[in-house]
Amino acid sequence: MECLTFTYPAEKEVSKSSHVGVVGSGNLEVLMEPSVSGQAEAEVTTSLDGNREIWNCVLERFFQENPVAVHLEINDFGATPGVVRLRLLQALELAEEVE
Amino acid sequence: MSEQQWSVRRDTKKKRLEQADGLCRGKQIDTEKMTEFLENILFPGDTVILEGDNQKQASFLSEALENCDPERVHDLHMVIPSVSRPEHLNLFEKGMASLLDFSYAGSQSMRIAQMIEDETLRVGAIHTYVELYARLFIDLIPDICLVAADEADPEGNLYTGPNTEETPTLVEATAFKNGIVIAQVNRIRDRVSRVDIPGDWVDFIVESPEPYEIKPLFTRDPRNITELQILMAMMCIKGIYARHGVQSLNHGIGFNTAAIELLLPTYGEQLGLKGKICSHWALNPHPTLIPAIESGWVKSVSAFGGELGMDQYIRARSDIFATGCDGSLRSNRTLTQLAGLYAIDLFIGSTLQIDEYGNSSTVTSGRLSGFGGAPNMGNNPGGRRHSTKAWQDMRQGDDELGMGRKLVVQVVETYGSGVTPVFVEKLDAVEIGKKAHLPNAPVMIYGDDVTHVVTEQGIAYLYLTQDREKRRKALQAIAGVTPFGRGISNEETEALRREGIVAFPRDLGIRVTDAKRSLLAAQNMEQLVEWSGGLYRPPVQFKSW
Amino acid sequence: MVRIHASFTELSARERAENLLDTGSARELLGPFSHLKSPHLLKQGIVPQNDDGMIVMKGRFEGRDTVVIAMEGKFQGGGIGEISGAKFAAALQEVLNDNQAGHPVFPVIIMDTGGVRLQEANYGLLAIAEIQDLLVSIREYVPVIGLIPGKVGCFGGMSMTCSLFSYIIMTKEGRLTLNGPEVIEQEAGIEEWDSSDKAFTYRTIGGEHRVAQGLADVLTEDSREAVHQAVKNCMEKGIPVHRSTMVEEYRAKIDKAAPGNAVSKKAVPANAASENTRSENVAPGSEKNSAGLRGRVWFEALTEDAITGNLGSIGSVLCRDIILGNRTCRVLAVTADPHTIFPRTRKGEVGLQQGWELARLIRQAVEEDNDSPEKRALIAVVDVPSQAYGYLEEYHGIFLSCAASVNAYAMARHAGHPVITVIVGNAISGAFLAHGLQGSHMIALDDETITVHAMSKKSAARITKRSIEDMDKAADSVAAIAYDIHSFNCLGAVNTLLKFPDHDHPSEDDVRVMKEKIAEGIRESEANGNTLDYRLKTPNAPKYRALSIQVRRQMAEAWREK
Repeated sequence: MECLTFTYPAEKEVSKSSHVGVVGSGNLEVLMEPSVSGQAEAEVTTSLDGNREIWNCVLERFFQENPVAVHLEINDFGATPGVVRLRLLQALELAEEVE
Repeated sequence: MSEQQWSVRRDTKKKRLEQADGLCRGKQIDTEKMTEFLENILFPGDTVILEGDNQKQASFLSEALENCDPERVHDLHMVIPSVSRPEHLNLFEKGMASLLDFSYAGSQSMRIAQMIEDETLRVGAIHTYVELYARLFIDLIPDICLVAADEADPEGNLYTGPNTEETPTLVEATAFKNGIVIAQVNRIRDRVSRVDIPGDWVDFIVESPEPYEIKPLFTRDPRNITELQILMAMMCIKGIYARHGVQSLNHGIGFNTAAIELLLPTYGEQLGLKGKICSHWALNPHPTLIPAIESGWVKSVSAFGGELGMDQYIRARSDIFATGCDGSLRSNRTLTQLAGLYAIDLFIGSTLQIDEYGNSSTVTSGRLSGFGGAPNMGNNPGGRRHSTKAWQDMRQGDDELGMGRKLVVQVVETYGSGVTPVFVEKLDAVEIGKKAHLPNAPVMIYGDDVTHVVTEQGIAYLYLTQDREKRRKALQAIAGVTPFGRGISNEETEALRREGIVAFPRDLGIRVTDAKRSLLAAQNMEQLVEWSGGLYRPPVQFKSW
Repeated sequence: MVRIHASFTELSARERAENLLDTGSARELLGPFSHLKSPHLLKQGIVPQNDDGMIVMKGRFEGRDTVVIAMEGKFQGGGIGEISGAKFAAALQEVLNDNQAGHPVFPVIIMDTGGVRLQEANYGLLAIAEIQDLLVSIREYVPVIGLIPGKVGCFGGMSMTCSLFSYIIMTKEGRLTLNGPEVIEQEAGIEEWDSSDKAFTYRTIGGEHRVAQGLADVLTEDSREAVHQAVKNCMEKGIPVHRSTMVEEYRAKIDKAAPGNAVSKKAVPANAASENTRSENVAPGSEKNSAGLRGRVWFEALTEDAITGNLGSIGSVLCRDIILGNRTCRVLAVTADPHTIFPRTRKGEVGLQQGWELARLIRQAVEEDNDSPEKRALIAVVDVPSQAYGYLEEYHGIFLSCAASVNAYAMARHAGHPVITVIVGNAISGAFLAHGLQGSHMIALDDETITVHAMSKKSAARITKRSIEDMDKAADSVAAIAYDIHSFNCLGAVNTLLKFPDHDHPSEDDVRVMKEKIAEGIRESEANGNTLDYRLKTPNAPKYRALSIQVRRQMAEAWREK
């Protein structure tokens, strides 16, 4: 298990918090909350060690496409980068949903 | 100069039959005497076909062969389409056989690689299925043929039931070249349910103590289909099948294609595609197609083999499947492979590695699996002449003599399980091939044949790329965060999207977050049974009730 | 075109809860944004989840105030840890409070759990005991409805919990049993149960069979409408006679199920015979700290001047009444019986018979004291090696038998009987839940040979895919997964640790001291209302059960929010 943190620049805010996924095999949980710092932050706990670079890549791309000021808490149980990206998009969609 | 002999094979057959005398009654061999029988009729150096199919195995005969005395039975040249059972390779370890021609070695792929490296075994070639069958008639003429069937009558007529697979081809290649054909059968009856292979082609029959081994290799439990596979399936349906109007196709084995099948009655229906795509199939009759059949998408299915649990369903859907006078499925791997080569517009399958030019292989890290039928269906036959919309859609340029192309689609997640990238600079297959002294690197599908690659990132329309470098860039644009995928700039990717060479889900009007499991027409085996009206009876390993 | 039913089973725990409640009425309590992650998992290098796999959703079902409690089987197999267990218990506490205050709230519980989360072992056991206690109380007011839709199913201590429900609804994919086939195979051998034989397993523990047997109530098809209707029907039926109280009926059934009497589907009789042969060669008690032997010694010592003979009707359950000071007490012990008709309980395990026999003896005391102002104290002498691991046991519902004893102990306490647990030997898993963990006061011998845990190390290592060395290492930082009595003592459930010179041979003085401590325990228990609440108030509780306490507080607050 490894804990990683990342920060990226952000431009816009999200209206609310969202939660998707489950910490099951090959899957992950994403909690997305408006960040207080105005930046995009990610706090990752992952069961697979030594993949900082891949995590950075996935998150960097995501925040380049969606520069939202959110705090992400990610609990990962061996998800592939593709699954991580899907969960991020799902979380964002829920966070931007208008009630 | 000695006189030329013109009937050596016939004379040899006569000699074999003489040596078999006393070990059989008519065509029927005593079950207990099977090994002794083989020891008597086999000669060193014989070419022996052993029926190891994708699904069905002549398991009693392979065991009897393994039990032969290596002093008497040796230097055999084995032809085994699918090397599936341990004794297939034990023959080589025991010194009974030395040369192997095969197409596929799923469960034995590790061991086969090791044995080649240790020189316990020499490989003639790793063929595609249809290539191997073809060579049986040209330069791999069999002396002995060992096959499996459901029933035989005393005259040797065989009933192969829904799992006819390649049995008739193997028998024909042997029978008409004065070889010896021996069939193990689950039971001998006065009259067989239907004649799949005429008795005149069969020399001997033996009742096996246990039915032949058969596995439901093509069944996929919808419960294991992931959201990413659903996303990729949506892209395939909208970005490929619908765009090109694909009507005739083959689906490789796997969850990616199972997802497509299960999205037709839901997502496909929403897009109004029924009747416009996916009407005619070359496919094993696996259960994830049931919802599409029941919703009226499917007009015909030509089957390579059967699939356990599907018998009753197939009997009740004889407009869709080929069935015999007894009502059960007639499958034929040779003919359906031929159909897959010439008569379909699209082949879609998955792989474990793709290199930067789109060459793909499932041969990785010590596994020499072979590819079965994929290389055959996954290529463009230059000999094709008939035209369809999908085929014409692939035509490039304005050459008056230009032709269409078969669509060959690879669908993969950018990373396999954990953090193993699927996109690599160089296929593992290259080194493995060298190590095994194979003249050709074991490539499954060549990049030149691939028209589309689909990942969770998007679709690369490779048929639109004019040169290798462009093809490389197109692949890079959908390779995600793999080391290969990181080598392309945003600007280059945007340019490819503008050109239409690459499409991301949003370019196709697909919302990534719509990829939910609830979109599947069936989410588990029980629902497949429900779709089939109770006609599908899943094998026990697929039941969770 | 065929219209197939939308599956309920395929939904996640959160979706299941939401789906069941009236549209728009659901409100999740202590959801992921409460950030209640298990620190115990983190310490062991296991990635936690922000709801700890337990969903509590308040809302309405067909207009009635309802709370749905659902386990997420995909996270750690739906196992019960400290937080998830506390969320469950805390929600039930609120349900009870509301019902007691005259405001009916219906609990619907969706089981998808392997039982105790082995990485938090004894936390799970304690939580399950607390949950079971609350269920017995709530059942007086409203029916408790349980649902086993399937994928994981319902195993371990949670199968006992399930047997306390008023109704159990299952799909044919749902599985209900105490020890899963893998555990039986590990503990009793592949001849006992070949866990790879899926069809056989479903024929034994699957929903169709459990309902046909009467160990569950309703078989429903896996569709949202059908599940909804089944829950509705149960709610409308109201409070039934609970299965876990049908002592005489089930005792008769169990007797008929004994090997030889049983219609066995497998080689149980042959197996049993070989067990019997072995038992002749091994004198009971010849092994170190042999199960049941020390329990018997202490039982005899404590009941030397008993006012009754042995009241137990089977050799493995001992029961006598004694006078302690001026107080009548009923002393109960489960012990080894080499002549048992159920070979798998030969070494003092709690099996099909023992649970029901304990229930009979406890309920007898409750009934006899019904009109008396003074209620007999129940003294549970604990030296139990485990629940019985056997095919026959699972087939005939050992989980219900264990639940019957849990139910009896809890009902006795609720009727005013103090329950004093005296741990003199091993206190393990389902056996401890059935006999000991319902105590309102606990005394334990301070003895390094005593182990308290949820599963043998070998099985736990296999199931959590760790080596025994790794498990021992993890135990250094998480007291709840250690096997020794000192670590268990940390968790706050034990009131008194007693050390004597020779725990196998107590002297008269030792027995006197023990009796004094029991008498003291009775007073303390009564002062606490004979509840299990004391466990969160002992000196160790604020440190070692801090989260259990915090979750209860937060749940109480969230419950009242609008």
